[in-house]
Formats: sequence, structure tokens, C-alpha cells
Amino acid sequence: MKADRRTFLKGAAATTGVVALGAPAVLGQAKPKVVVIGGGPGGATAAKYIARDAKGAVEVVMVEPLKEFVTCFHSNLYLGGFRKFEEITHTYDKLAGYGVTLAHQMASAIDRDKKQVRLADGVTLAYDRLVVSPGIDLKYDSVPGWGKEHEETMPHAWKPGAQTKLLKTRLDAVPDGGVIVMIAPDNPYRCPPGPYERVSMMAHVLKTAGKTKAKIVIIDPKKTFSKQGVFQEGWEKHFPGMVEWLAPDIHSGLKGVDPKTNTVETGFETYKNCALVNVIPNQTAGKIALDAGLANESGFCPIKPETMQSAKDDSIYVLGDAAIAGDMPKSAFSANSQAKVAALMIRGELTKSPTFPARYANTCWSLITTDDTIKVGGSYAAKDGKISTVDSFVSKAGETAATRKENQAENMGWYSGITSDMFG
Amino acid sequence: MANRGARARMAVALGAGLTMLTLSPSAAPAADPAYGEYLSSECVACHRRDGQDKGIPPIIGWPRDQFIAVLQSYKTKDRQNQVMQTITGRLSDDDMAALAAFYGSLKPAN
Repeated sequence: MKADRRTFLKGAAATTGVVALGAPAVLGQAKPKVVVIGGGPGGATAAKYIARDAKGAVEVVMVEPLKEFVTCFHSNLYLGGFRKFEEITHTYDKLAGYGVTLAHQMASAIDRDKKQVRLADGVTLAYDRLVVSPGIDLKYDSVPGWGKEHEETMPHAWKPGAQTKLLKTRLDAVPDGGVIVMIAPDNPYRCPPGPYERVSMMAHVLKTAGKTKAKIVIIDPKKTFSKQGVFQEGWEKHFPGMVEWLAPDIHSGLKGVDPKTNTVETGFETYKNCALVNVIPNQTAGKIALDAGLANESGFCPIKPETMQSAKDDSIYVLGDAAIAGDMPKSAFSANSQAKVAALMIRGELTKSPTFPARYANTCWSLITTDDTIKVGGSYAAKDGKISTVDSFVSKAGETAATRKENQAENMGWYSGITSDMFG
Repeated sequence: MANRGARARMAVALGAGLTMLTLSPSAAPAADPAYGEYLSSECVACHRRDGQDKGIPPIIGWPRDQFIAVLQSYKTKDRQNQVMQTITGRLSDDDMAALAAFYGSLKPAN
């Protein structure tokens, strides 16, 4: 079905009061309705799996304003010149074939009492179950001196699209001897290894261009970071003297930035006339989840680990970066994994199809330079009231070049697999 | 646990061609393709369901015994791959049989 409002409404009207023959739907009632907010790794996967596996017994509408989705995962590889922008850009064309109706609108509000989602164009969608997978919003007030009006001068590139291209353009223009400062975010945030893979890609681009006198300084509010040992080993090996990571006890706190002069001031040092300042601010769940009262004081949404249901509303499932998923990191892999659990449970509730105990998995690959990729991952299950680690691993220092090259082949294979799983 | 109950119900439904019966959770079968399909949702994040090789080996259409033997060799860490060792670490014999049944039933896309 085409994705415009008229056909959507027509489709919705046509299904009202109709019971799908031969399907295990709730007899005597209208076809159950699922609305999915967000077309990323959580939302697109959930919409596809529910529609595909329900075989017409459930009406699935996915609300996503963008017609083309740029993946945040592998956007660092675009920055490093390992990916073309087209390769990380995907359409939703194939989802309709599974029975997903697309509403290319921004979801503006959730009315939990009426079980309705209001879209920006005024259309209201009723739901029996709602999947909320809006990703993150940026806390523009978390870095003194920086705000939304400064994101062109000091880009974040933590939401994919124009910002990603801007950061690439700015990186490519950094002169030899120039200083890049990255303001890293505090936990919890999207893609824990992401800032450090980005630094690796920045150093790779600079070194490849012969700009080995350029320097990247990371001002970090965290005392440690994901895959720290193997990232730092890689930086010393491939980019000696080019990357400086400063923990909070070293930089003595970020005092602020001045976008007019490209200055970053810490308690330890002031960096003036930076060639590039990449501000990755702190984050919250997407605004619509906050507005609907699905988040707690942390700014993210508690869930029931057995199902991914919101801890605050049994009719709503929260997926991906917006959710508090226990030991799972905020990653595309995690969101995709959580979506399959939610899809299973939602079908179980709406069509009485069988359900199985929730199981989750994650792996994150990070490219340091050509053929040198590290990884971290784990398996997870509902335990002790949260999603808990069953088993985990992380790349080790001193691994062979062959192992690291195999990791990169996996990284590329995974991208093909997960994007096919989401959109294909 | 409700989910285990549901699994058992489905297992019985498959065996007897009936629906909505309830038996004890221990009645789960050795090679339940529907359960295998659910377990496979963990695999398809990397191994493409259409069988294309884009950097990670395809695993569709394998003989049952070979499929299980490879999974076992990762579980025992005789084969080296941290991701596969972690994934297989919690797979029971029944899980592996269910996965082998599901993946054995898939054919490459044209």
C-alpha cells in the first residue's frame, strides 16, 4: 500500500469491522491495531516482524517522518571514507510488502487513556498495542555555551543525515597541525563505543591525508569507556601522538565552549581556534516518550525485561535507545533484538500465537583503521527484574592482524544482515 | 512461567493437530520449527535469511547433523569466534535441534 495519508485512511476504514478469515485473530472483533512510532532499528524491525508473522491478522501502521533512513551505525565508516553515503541510506519500500502501512508523519502526541496517537497533520490513529521507538533526543543544555543554534558551527552528528555530512566536510578541511576537540557524552547514551570509533576514523582520515601533526583531544566526563584498552592500543599503534583522551580527573571538568571563537575551556586547559569542535551532548529518550510519561527521572523509559512492555503502560512497548534495557547497550543491534521480543509478545497478546521466553543479544564492531576492527558483545535474558547479561566478550589487546581483519569482514556482513532484516 | 506454558501448548498443538491444550513445560519437543524460527531471529541480524554471503557465511539449507555439529563446536570453543561462542553458549540441545530444523527448511532466494 502506498504511504500517503489518503490511502492509509482508506485502508484503515476498509479494515474496520473485518475479521481476517483463516487467521488466528480475536474472532468477532475488528482486526487488532498496532501503531509503531519510529522507523529505526527498533521500530522498523518490530513493524516488519509483527506484520509478516501475523499474516494479515494484525493491522500495522509505522509512523516515521523520513522517507529515507540514514543509519547511525556505520556513519563513522562514512566519516572515515569506508562507506558512501548512499550505502548507509535506506528506503522503506519493501515493508509494505509485509503488510506494514507507512505514515510519513511526525507523531506529535500519545493519548494513553484513549489509546490514540496524534500525528502532526492532525490524523489520529487508534491502537491496541503501541510500539514506541523514537531513539534519542539531545540535551542541548548539557554543554555550557552550546545549543541547537550552534550545531552548524560545532556539529554533533549524533543523529544521522545532514549533520553526518557536515562533520565529514569539516573533518576533511582540518589542516595539518589543526586541533580537533571532541566533547564526549556522559552515560547513558546512544552507541557507547561510537565516540571512540569516530575519533579513530578522524585520525585515519588525517593520517591518510598526511596530516599527522593534527591532533584530536577528547574531553570525557566518564572515567572509563567502552573497549577502552583496545581502542587506546590501536591509537598508539596507528596514530602515535595524534589522539589524547582526557578523563575528568585530568581535564578537571568542562567549563564551556564558545562557538564564535571555536574555543573549548576546561579546568585544565583552554583550546583556542580549534579546527573542529565535535560536541556530542548528553541524551534522553525521544521527546514523545517523555511527553507521554513513559520515562522516569533518568530521562529514559523503564521496561519489563520479559516483554519490553513499558513499566508504566502494559499497552505500550518501548524499544531501542529510548528504553532502559538493563545491561544491554544502546545500539542498533540491541534495538533490533528487543524488537523481535516485542513483536513476538504483541502477536501473542493480539492473536494468541505462541510466545517463548525473551532472549536478547548484542554485538558492536568498531573500526580503528583499515582491517583493524574490534568488537564487544553479549547475550542477555530477563533476570533479577532487568535485562541481565548471560555471557559477554570484548576484543583483547594484542590480537593478530588476521583476527582483526576477520572482525571487519563480520562488521560489513552484519551491516548487510541487519539492514536486510530491518528493511529488506 | 507463562511463556514456557505457551511453548508447551504450541508443542502439543503441532504434535496432535489441535489448539489450546495445556501440558507441562517439560513436553517441549526436540525439533520444533516454530521455536527454531523464533531462535533464528537472533541469527538473522548477521546471517542473511536469504542466504546471501555479504561477509558472514550463509547458514540456510544445511544438513541437520552438520548444522548441529558446527554449533556444538562453537559452544565447546573448539571453533574460534567470540560472537558465535557467546551465542551458542546458552543454546541447549533442543535449541540447536530447533534451529537446525528451521534453517534446514530454508532455500536460497532466486
